[in-house]
Amino acid sequence: MKFTLIISGSGGQGVMSIGMSLAGSAVEGGMHATFMPLYGPEQRGGSAKCTVIVSDSEIVSPLPKQSDGLIVMNETSFKKFTPELKPGGVLVRNINRTTSALKRTDIEVVDVPADDLAHELGSDKIANIILIGAMLGYSGMLDPAVFMASLEHKFAAKGAEVVELNRKALDKGLELGRAAKKA
Amino acid sequence: MAKEFMKGNEAIGEAAVRGGVRFFAGYPITPQSELPEYLSWRLPEVGGCFVQGESEVASINMVYGAAATGVRAMTGSSSPGISLKSEGISYLSAAELPAVIVNMQRGGPGLGSIQPAQQDYLQATKAAGHGGFRMLVFAPYTVQEAVDIVYDAPEYAERDRSPVMILMDGCLGTMMEEVELPPMKELPESPCKPWTVGYDGTKRGGHLITPIYPEAGLEGKNKLAVQRTKRWEENDVRVEEFMVDDAEWVIVAYGMSARVAKQVVLDLREVGFKIGLIRPITLFPFPKKSIANLDYTKVKGLIDIEMSIPALMREDIELQVLGRAPVYEYGRSGGILLDDESTKAAVRKIIEGGEQ
Repeated sequence: MKFTLIISGSGGQGVMSIGMSLAGSAVEGGMHATFMPLYGPEQRGGSAKCTVIVSDSEIVSPLPKQSDGLIVMNETSFKKFTPELKPGGVLVRNINRTTSALKRTDIEVVDVPADDLAHELGSDKIANIILIGAMLGYSGMLDPAVFMASLEHKFAAKGAEVVELNRKALDKGLELGRAAKKA
Repeated sequence: MAKEFMKGNEAIGEAAVRGGVRFFAGYPITPQSELPEYLSWRLPEVGGCFVQGESEVASINMVYGAAATGVRAMTGSSSPGISLKSEGISYLSAAELPAVIVNMQRGGPGLGSIQPAQQDYLQATKAAGHGGFRMLVFAPYTVQEAVDIVYDAPEYAERDRSPVMILMDGCLGTMMEEVELPPMKELPESPCKPWTVGYDGTKRGGHLITPIYPEAGLEGKNKLAVQRTKRWEENDVRVEEFMVDDAEWVIVAYGMSARVAKQVVLDLREVGFKIGLIRPITLFPFPKKSIANLDYTKVKGLIDIEMSIPALMREDIELQVLGRAPVYEYGRSGGILLDDESTKAAVRKIIEGGEQ
């Protein structure tokens, strides 16, 4: 199985860091993965996009035209990258930062109030983890335990509290993604 | 050995260290800045030296100085930065100094764009500076292949006493994928060689390393360089031929474009097209025989695919085809990337419609 995911938002929203973590965890879990970033010259505020491919066989080209999954974290990326999703693909959308109506009718949509949920859980920084959780819960592109193991490793130095916060965020996202899949 | 998940720029930095590079001078430029950033902390760990020069020109000349002492020296940049280094590269070649030069190409000409491209093929393979010198030019297509090539590059440079170029693109520099890193190479206690400045292996001596010669001496050097180029063509050509044996259509592509092209070959094979890929791994020397020796009673056309408009390798391909089949091209340029589906559609259009 091969799954291609585009993650997009604005610089500073954790687009690149979450993409690297996801792809890196897949490799640690014995899968093949590539991470391809694309960003403008801005350090913050510009548009940020990365493409992550996770596959059980070797990845030949890391440059697909369209993806199986798309996470959009803000309005600009929602407008810009929704056409890059395959028909039948899944869109996970941060509805706290996307305002315009969805025009496509040929894709699955999981709406996540990621900013609100992150705030409720106690940190505005974990919206990206909630969105990834929703994507994993809906698509099954990677075993969430494999991804959580890499988060544990990544945040180990920051203490058990930070790890726990990330676990809660991931679980919240998974719950939303799985519920949307069943609906 | 365990696989690591690394960014191309950082992986080749580590490969350089393990391959014995102990001096790097460079100047930041997107999309290769992670290479000097990585080496700025990594080289001191192994007793090496990292310098962020005040410019590209300063950096390449620092590499010249370091190489003259025998230490394995390297620099990296991206397209406009390589243009700035071109005088220094010519001087390195003239002075017969080994050095490893990485070009993480971006859109051009001029300051161009910061996004990946392959628009420096002609510069790398024909004239990386004035004076008609040539270099080995390698074009890896995965992070792993880049690591393996950079790891061995200092030895090629020392063998030939010549700069070596690794021609990559911004995709390979900034993407992350799995890589298996080779072990640290054993280095001699002193980097000095019999020819290095001020040392002949036993005592301080009067070696002169110079980029300027009297006329007769210079012509002699030029003739020796021709012999070296012949040796490269005989011994150092590297190429991958993929599904070429029964192919009626042959794509020629290198670097990141070759990965897209390979996916296109696999996809089109599934629907019955007899198509293959010739992937030059050395761009200079160019794998002439792979193209010249195709069975032109079978081959209906060749397609040059590059992240460059126009396709710059095309002339080298045509020189081997010699009119025996039509040569077509498809590319994106200026920082717009190729993608699998669009490339497949373009190749189908060429095959089915003979569009030139």
